[in-house]
Amino acid sequence: MYLPDFEYFAPDSIGEACQLLSQFGAKAKLISGGTDVLVKMKNELLAPEVLVSIKNLEELKKIEYVPGKGVVIGARAKHNDLVYSELLAKRYPSIPGAAKQMAHNQIRNSGTVGGNIVNAVPSADLPPILIALSATVHIVGAKGSRSLALEDVFTGPNTTCLAPDEIITEVIIPDQKMTGSTYMKFGLRAAGALAVAGVAAAVWVENGVMKDARIVMSAVGPTPMRAKKAEDFLKGKKITDELLAEAGKKAAEECKPIDDYRASAEYRRNLVSVFTKRSLRKAIDEGHV
Amino acid sequence: MSIKHQMSIEGNDLRLDFDKEYTQIGKSVPRIDGVEKATGAGKYAGDLKFPNMLYGKILYSPHAHAKILSIDTSEAEKIPGVKAVLTSKDVPDMKYGISPARWDENIFCIDKARYVGDKIAGVACIDEETCYKAMKAIKVEYEVLPTVLDYRHAMDEGMPLVHDNYPRNINTEIHQDFGDVEQAFKDAYHVREDVFTGTRAYQNPIERHSNVCIWKDDKLTIYPSSQSPHYFQYYVAREFGLKMGQVRIVLPLIGGGFGGKLEPSGLEFVGSVLSKVTGRPVMMSYDRLEMFQHNRGRHQGTYRIKTGVDKNGKILGCHTYFLLDGGAYTGLGIATAYYSGALLPLTYEFDNYKFDGYRIATNLPACGAHRGHGAPQPKYAFESHLDNIAKDLGIDPLDIRLINARKPNTTTVNGFGIQSCELTACLDRIAELSDWREKKKKGLPQGRGIGIATGSFVSGAGYPIYRNDWPSASCMIRVNEDGTSATLYSMSADLGQGSSTILCQMAAEAMGYKYENMKIVCGDTETAPLDFGAYASRQTLFSGWAAKRAGEKIKKDILETAAFMMGLPNEDMDLDCVDGVIFSKSRPKVKVTTFEEAAARYFKLKGPLVGTGVYTVHRTGGYHKGAPVGTSPAYSFGVQAAEMEVDEETGKLTCLNFWDVHDCGQVINPTLVKGQIHGALYMGIGESIFEQVQFDDKGKIVNGSMGGYLMPTALDMPSNVINETVESYEPVAPWGVKECGEGSTNPTMGAFRNAIADAVGANVTSLPLNPEHVWRAIQEKKAKDKK
Repeated sequence: MYLPDFEYFAPDSIGEACQLLSQFGAKAKLISGGTDVLVKMKNELLAPEVLVSIKNLEELKKIEYVPGKGVVIGARAKHNDLVYSELLAKRYPSIPGAAKQMAHNQIRNSGTVGGNIVNAVPSADLPPILIALSATVHIVGAKGSRSLALEDVFTGPNTTCLAPDEIITEVIIPDQKMTGSTYMKFGLRAAGALAVAGVAAAVWVENGVMKDARIVMSAVGPTPMRAKKAEDFLKGKKITDELLAEAGKKAAEECKPIDDYRASAEYRRNLVSVFTKRSLRKAIDEGHV
Repeated sequence: MSIKHQMSIEGNDLRLDFDKEYTQIGKSVPRIDGVEKATGAGKYAGDLKFPNMLYGKILYSPHAHAKILSIDTSEAEKIPGVKAVLTSKDVPDMKYGISPARWDENIFCIDKARYVGDKIAGVACIDEETCYKAMKAIKVEYEVLPTVLDYRHAMDEGMPLVHDNYPRNINTEIHQDFGDVEQAFKDAYHVREDVFTGTRAYQNPIERHSNVCIWKDDKLTIYPSSQSPHYFQYYVAREFGLKMGQVRIVLPLIGGGFGGKLEPSGLEFVGSVLSKVTGRPVMMSYDRLEMFQHNRGRHQGTYRIKTGVDKNGKILGCHTYFLLDGGAYTGLGIATAYYSGALLPLTYEFDNYKFDGYRIATNLPACGAHRGHGAPQPKYAFESHLDNIAKDLGIDPLDIRLINARKPNTTTVNGFGIQSCELTACLDRIAELSDWREKKKKGLPQGRGIGIATGSFVSGAGYPIYRNDWPSASCMIRVNEDGTSATLYSMSADLGQGSSTILCQMAAEAMGYKYENMKIVCGDTETAPLDFGAYASRQTLFSGWAAKRAGEKIKKDILETAAFMMGLPNEDMDLDCVDGVIFSKSRPKVKVTTFEEAAARYFKLKGPLVGTGVYTVHRTGGYHKGAPVGTSPAYSFGVQAAEMEVDEETGKLTCLNFWDVHDCGQVINPTLVKGQIHGALYMGIGESIFEQVQFDDKGKIVNGSMGGYLMPTALDMPSNVINETVESYEPVAPWGVKECGEGSTNPTMGAFRNAIADAVGANVTSLPLNPEHVWRAIQEKKAKDKK
């Protein structure tokens, strides 16, 4: 209920932040918006001796288009920065569309894109749409930097492949052929509820044929999951309602939901089937929404 | 009664135009506490601060059922800032509760803990953070015992006992039999039996349970978040062997109770002893999870109902069999168990009724009174059952309710006298508002349905909770010296429902005074006379009578003084005082005077102008066992209808339109009535669709937080809510009033369930009606249709 005592650093550069993380190792925890870290600390699930805040790193707040690279979203961009971004509204409205479905306004004003990724809860609402749009992340560490497909970042519930001294600095949405994308979340109330299941779909449609599709499911596996069999099944086929329903069934077979107090695994599979079908249809008909 | 005359007095600035019968009531005046609440200036218990105040917490059991082998507090006592540590050895061992028939709780567990959250030890420290450290340092050795977590199997052979004196874990057993149900079933054209199951819901008021206790010398003062200062005073005095006069309860502002803050929370007992041993004020509180653990929310139950009807759907007889999960202690649960069956015959007339009820003890948090006390879930079951019967017979759900609807001036099969009852008018009106007939004739689009349900509730309980012969309510009004204000002293409790506002409206009306000049001191046992507080929807009628009578006494004194001042005889009720102006009815040219002037004169001549009022309920109810529960001077009636859209693939529900038509007697403040109805709908939607306290297999709550326990948000409310009241006047009530706060909760779950059944033809038989339950019912129906 009360925060334990800790030492607090708010460095002015990424390099310094990585240095501190490297120096304190397992004793340190990176903090961005604090909507997960502080709650975990109050609930005694986390007791870092050192908090390294990246709140002074202004350059990580940008949302911009870099020709040849794509749309670059800084890891410190808040969910509401996505919601109200004119650039995203123009290029990929499906990203603000997903961000808007997260938590409450208060959390969206504080929580950040990078935090949502590294917290790595299976029900996170941003990763599915970002993965559907083939996002990569740029990671900076004490010993150098690297880039990675976002979907490869997650290793399990609450775990990622990041080393303790590594920080995600940007998420990059590459230029692409996808003609539509959307994220559909099913929570048990209209706001402030975790996804019981969610499906993001991105499609490349030409002349009524599905040239390519990416389907990403949330809250139905240990990490955000691609429904690859469903994707393969769709490729090159003429789009019909039956086809999409069949893709939904395949996605439902691929997902790995669990029973918990929010919903049963059986029901979650049903939701995946329904929302795969619906999100594909929406992306096909309405573009990036 | 009527004051419909115009006065136009020459040479007088006062032009009075009495268009309305009343000048202070029947109006949506601003809340008396509105500004301080809206600006945050008002103080709730948790905001209070006293010099040298300590903070206290209660250490709770992490096990649902465990013997306490030893408690070692020595490490905790060494922590700097820890001022006191208490265990069961340091406090009285007298059992308490609130229903005197089953006092079964101790301040701290003596032999064993009976649920996760049961009270083990108490600490007082210089701040709350230190309390948490101290609690961690208390070493308790437990022997974990087998648990009773499923109330449906708690009575089975060989199950462990939660309390040794409740054999087979039966906390209460009720058997009531009126008329001849078996014969009614034989005479019936159609007999149907259904079983429905409910769920545990928690009131979850926005304000946490808190209090400050100050025990100095031989006087104990407590500032609690409570619905009843009197019961707190009585139970605290009893526990510590004090006289009532040695205990003072003062209510700060209260941020919601809904039944959960009626009984002692344990915080007041522990806080009192901590204050006594430290000699300092102690602030106690539950955090959100501890609130869920303390609970006293809705009992979940299994509701089996069998009803026989004639060809037209007229109910001939009904047999109910209810099994309720009571949790670890009794609290108010005995009343809940009786209410669950007793209130069912209110809305429909039938002559044969049998009720068998069992309240079961389990190793889960204790359940209690939760808005609509005992009635809402049985009502959900009965209203669902009635729709099933209507479907069997091919009768419109509206018609089966019209055929059976309670009429005014009748007596229920279990002996409750009903005077005013406009249920038929409510049904007719809701049919118009919802376009019911047309929608039934033309049918609604696929996946959409409309459902209806009725409800009723007591306007105050006919008998107090512990046996006593005190009047039911009393109050005092003191007109302040220069007559520019008057203070109502009442031991009522304004939990947010607005009772302080309407009691001041009623007092002002009776005095002939102005609401805006009224002040109120409510909930202070040392300044206000006895009133049992806010529960069973009693204050508008009960406390209202006291306010009206106190006001009338003031008016009598005022008019006597005014007669003297105006040089007129005060005979034949010639003088009257309305809206602060005193005038002669027969001599309109006589210069008027004001309440203010007459009151100031009164004080100069005779001293303080004080009026008192008292109300005692007339003898109500029958003579059978449990007859007092459900008695009331008057009953509210209401009907709700819901139009729902069901997503058949996911079971997701959207309530498109919601209608509520209510008979709550004469309305004192229309905005507050609307607030009650909207609030009840909010809670009703929550309990219908979203809310469910859930446990792991060890009896530990898994969703005891605002994020885990899903209460609806503004976005989950229906976009279109229409509520109306019908013309009604209750003869035994002041100005014909009745309740509307709890009765409005009763129809909601049934209306939703019936709308879902209408939309998709699926019979959802268990609460909450959440998407997964609805989806499963649809799957079952599809499987059945295939066969």
